[in-house]
Amino acid sequence: MVDALHEIHRVLALGGLLVDARPDSRVLGHAEHVTAGGHRSVGTIRTARAELGNDRASDRAITRVKRERLFRSRRKGRFWHRVPFDGLAALQEYLREHLRFEHRVRWTAGTATRRRIKDDRFTIRRAVRYELLERVSGQT
Amino acid sequence: MSSTASDVGKHVPALASSLRPSAQDELAVWGGPRLVRGKRVLDLGCGDGRLALGVAALARTVDGLDPDPEGIAAARKRARDEGVGNARFEVGAAQSLPYKDGAFDVVISSWTL
Repeated sequence: MVDALHEIHRVLALGGLLVDARPDSRVLGHAEHVTAGGHRSVGTIRTARAELGNDRASDRAITRVKRERLFRSRRKGRFWHRVPFDGLAALQEYLREHLRFEHRVRWTAGTATRRRIKDDRFTIRRAVRYELLERVSGQT
Repeated sequence: MSSTASDVGKHVPALASSLRPSAQDELAVWGGPRLVRGKRVLDLGCGDGRLALGVAALARTVDGLDPDPEGIAAARKRARDEGVGNARFEVGAAQSLPYKDGAFDVVISSWTL
């Protein structure tokens, strides 16, 4: 990870920008029921344990190259991204094969409610964070 | 985005860009078109070219790099199909970038690090 960041530093012109954007595993994802009034959370989705470890390694690598004065943070933030599904079964199948998420929803809606709405539209809402890092003059 | 997960079939990481935010949505959050306008841009982990081709109309040049040959083949095909002339795609790894020092003004690492 740090090797990749050193390479990025090398190929960036002085003052150039690195955009680091990735899913924010510090924030729970949500399974949402799409209704006429909007989106209602029916459960939460956690990031898989292995991916949490990878994300922490990425965070440490970014921290290190800032400490090495190769990059400095210009701006950071977070946005939400929704992935749509035709029904509950499609959402669950997506999760079963997903590499980042745990493979099941931790439901907050009861079984009867889920049965009643299972053919409606759903989304998974996840947080994505980003940081703009300026290449500064430090040598790798 | 109109497609749903069932439209695009199983989750295949390099080709799952239809389940990601659009390039325009991400660019708007990061700072808008001025971030890449007239710039030399590298999209690291470009997959099938979702972001690279999404910003190509604004950028001076766009290079995409990904370790997955299948993703790069898809990106090249999309570039041809869309008539994008300022984008190039190569198979490679972020740990050993096949570019000269200072070759880019912007490097995008979206869902990659």
